[in-house]
Amino acid sequence: MAIAETSPDHGLSTSNGSQIESFSYDDDIVRKFATATLIWGVVGTLAGLLVAIILILPKLFDAVPYLTFGRLRPLHTNAAIFAFAGNGIFCAVYYSTQRLCKARMWSDVLSRLHFWGWQLIIVAAAITLPLGITQSKEYAELEWPIDLAIAVVWLGFFGVNFMMTLINRRERHMYVALWFYIATIVTVTVLHVFNNLVVPLGWGKSYPIYAGVQDAFMQWWYGHNAVAFFLTTPFLGLMYYFLPKAANRPVFSYKLSIIHFWSLVFIYIWAGPHHLHYTALPEWASSLGMLFSLMLWMPSWGGMINGLLTLRGAWHKVTTDPVLKFFVVGITFYGMATFEGPMLSIKAINGLSHYTDWTIAHVHSGALGWNGMMTFGMIYWLMPRIFQTKLWSQKLASLHFWIGTIGILLYIVPIYAAGLYQGMAWRAMDDLGNLKNPEFVEIISYVIPMWWVRVLGGLLYVFGVGLMAVNYIMTWKTRPATYEVPVYQAARLTNTVPAESPANPSGLDAAPVLNAAKSLDVWAKMDWHRRWERLPIRFTVLTTLAVVIASLFEIVPTFLIRSNVPTIATVKPYTPLELAGRDIYISEGCYNCHSQMVRPMVAETKRYGEYSKPGEFIYDRPFQWGSRRIGPDLAREGKKQSSLWHWQHFENPQLLNEASVMPAYVHLLDTKIDFKKIPDRVRAAHMLGAPYDRELTEAVEMAMKQAEEVAADIVSQGGPIQRGDVMTLDSKAVALIAYIQRLGTDIFAPPDPTPEESEAAEEESEAAEESVATFDVSTKVPNDSANPAADEPRGDDVTMQLPEESNGAPTTLAQTEPSQGGTE
Amino acid sequence: MLKDVIRAIDYSDCAEAALLLFVFAFGLMLFATLRLSRQSTDKFASIPLSDRVEDPRDE
Repeated sequence: MAIAETSPDHGLSTSNGSQIESFSYDDDIVRKFATATLIWGVVGTLAGLLVAIILILPKLFDAVPYLTFGRLRPLHTNAAIFAFAGNGIFCAVYYSTQRLCKARMWSDVLSRLHFWGWQLIIVAAAITLPLGITQSKEYAELEWPIDLAIAVVWLGFFGVNFMMTLINRRERHMYVALWFYIATIVTVTVLHVFNNLVVPLGWGKSYPIYAGVQDAFMQWWYGHNAVAFFLTTPFLGLMYYFLPKAANRPVFSYKLSIIHFWSLVFIYIWAGPHHLHYTALPEWASSLGMLFSLMLWMPSWGGMINGLLTLRGAWHKVTTDPVLKFFVVGITFYGMATFEGPMLSIKAINGLSHYTDWTIAHVHSGALGWNGMMTFGMIYWLMPRIFQTKLWSQKLASLHFWIGTIGILLYIVPIYAAGLYQGMAWRAMDDLGNLKNPEFVEIISYVIPMWWVRVLGGLLYVFGVGLMAVNYIMTWKTRPATYEVPVYQAARLTNTVPAESPANPSGLDAAPVLNAAKSLDVWAKMDWHRRWERLPIRFTVLTTLAVVIASLFEIVPTFLIRSNVPTIATVKPYTPLELAGRDIYISEGCYNCHSQMVRPMVAETKRYGEYSKPGEFIYDRPFQWGSRRIGPDLAREGKKQSSLWHWQHFENPQLLNEASVMPAYVHLLDTKIDFKKIPDRVRAAHMLGAPYDRELTEAVEMAMKQAEEVAADIVSQGGPIQRGDVMTLDSKAVALIAYIQRLGTDIFAPPDPTPEESEAAEEESEAAEESVATFDVSTKVPNDSANPAADEPRGDDVTMQLPEESNGAPTTLAQTEPSQGGTE
Repeated sequence: MLKDVIRAIDYSDCAEAALLLFVFAFGLMLFATLRLSRQSTDKFASIPLSDRVEDPRDE
């Protein structure tokens, strides 16, 4: 801690005439964010532990809809990312920015509005997510009112306060950590705004303006860059400030830190499409994402090496200082995760790892190892400084380090093994070309022991956080009665910067060369670039441009090239009841366990049916491709099982499949559909482009009619007419079943007849009616005899008849273009 | 009409153009960084080590 200056001399001036000012740093806001980090760290990790246990014991909270894996998993990820890591970031930013700028934060009021606003947002998330209020986009689940609050708090309070502090700083050069903070603020704003553009439908429901492929692209442009600019760049800023402080030596290479920064800003933003390999995303976008992901290897490892080499000559301190231990392990995990990330973006490897637990292990090595350990190290370093006392127990801090590290290893190693096993088992085929493991649930049952080990690892990690909480509280208890507030004195920066030119003239001044050559020589000295680096507004604009331009190069073609999403004539909008069912699917978080994307791989088409086409998703708002398969893919689920099977499956999944890890959804059987809300959903979908006609005026009647049909189907197969007070035809389960039975069936539907065909069919129909009336009253007339293609097989029948190795489009496609280069 | 014009533009070279843009911007940044003097980088790197205002503060 710097020595306090308790008697500021007002009225002094510097040699350049600027007034000397007194100032102090606002450490109260740092204490607030540090405490919030700790509290949300406990909550976030406990929530993680809970969902890990629910996954193994699906009946643990049976019949409690708020405590299912689908609803709680987003709560865990949001708590870990935005509550724990978010508050950790703010803690680091508020402490380091003031000291790097030699200035107090611009506005104490904005600082507090930021703090309380952010905590309110987290509480709102903790309430809405278990209630099933979600946008169903990973890491962007929160509904639009909360999204608006995030935008105001993030940019209006935090961003403005930060930028104004930079503008009013007293240190000419903006240290590289500040660059990382700038990139974080501007990029997260851009990502958040564009991924959350929705049409609101009441306070707790909205539909994205994007659909299908485009929605998926936007989501993973956001999703990947949320990792990049929320979980990487601010933590690198943290590393570049707190590691030199803790080691008491400057960063190993400042040049490398600059290269690290610009490389990440230029490269990261392109890499998102690697999350969508082998999906219906266009091939070129997928390849571009892979290429830029591979390029990330160099700057990431450059940063890791820069961090570790900062400890050159100080490694002896690592053995005794728990703060440095946390930092070393954190940076090492950064290196591991950033090696693995590009590796997983390689298509061939991604084909194996995607949808498996491998991704979960990768994410947790980054989150627990990099984000967690760096945050813990920072908090331990801050504790004695913000509480102006000694750390209560170094031993306890060391114990936390070892328990946390062992906990991470126990977590990730079995999950890597589980992921690898899942990937291999899903694609394993025998000599005859049949799947070796046709039963999906069998593969899951094999990895459950590994999930148990994961629970043990998670338990250790949570215990470690608990130890830190004890240390934090005990340290806080030994704080002084009043905190000392050191006062510093310095003049503001003058607006005029001393000219570099006299000190940095062209070396060609005396040489007989053209003036242009001399100008070029001066330009090449890059003083202009130094000037940019110390002008916060210009620097911010340039960083924003780098991010936006790179994004536009991917986004614009994705949205505008029509051939990216070939339309399929038989793909129709969802019926009103199916729309309602889809919203239930979203609300329950089914995407957390089930994907809706059959990749063009033989093993996948063998298991699930025809691979997914971009044109199948044009009415999907939001898309439901998912990123994980704890349960089987549902893209071709329609008509595979009877409606009664689905009913019973919601009632008791283990009754139909003993090894199932799906929780029961009894509340869907016992809750009525709110038919009155359906017309609003239909109108919203229509406004976004769904070609509805009769549905706009008769949505309720159409929904009720279809519900009756589904319910009749269930009852005719032996299902109940009612459960308690709820008639089967009124239950939410019926709407969900209607939606599931529709999934993936449209491309096999017969095309609409041409006018000539309609006319011929009409004549045929009339003739048939006449013949029935005249000759044989018992003759059966097909219901859809008006349709000449009605005799063609539909649904799963067709799926079974398609040659497995063929990627040829179904005959009913009006226009088709394989989205991927081929099959595996 | 604007929509049609925009849709009619050929975007097939976007990926290559993006790579060129990246290489140019990255190259410029690399050049600028490598031109930094040792004196400057040492000074910048030491900024976090002290919470006091150092004089002279200008580069």
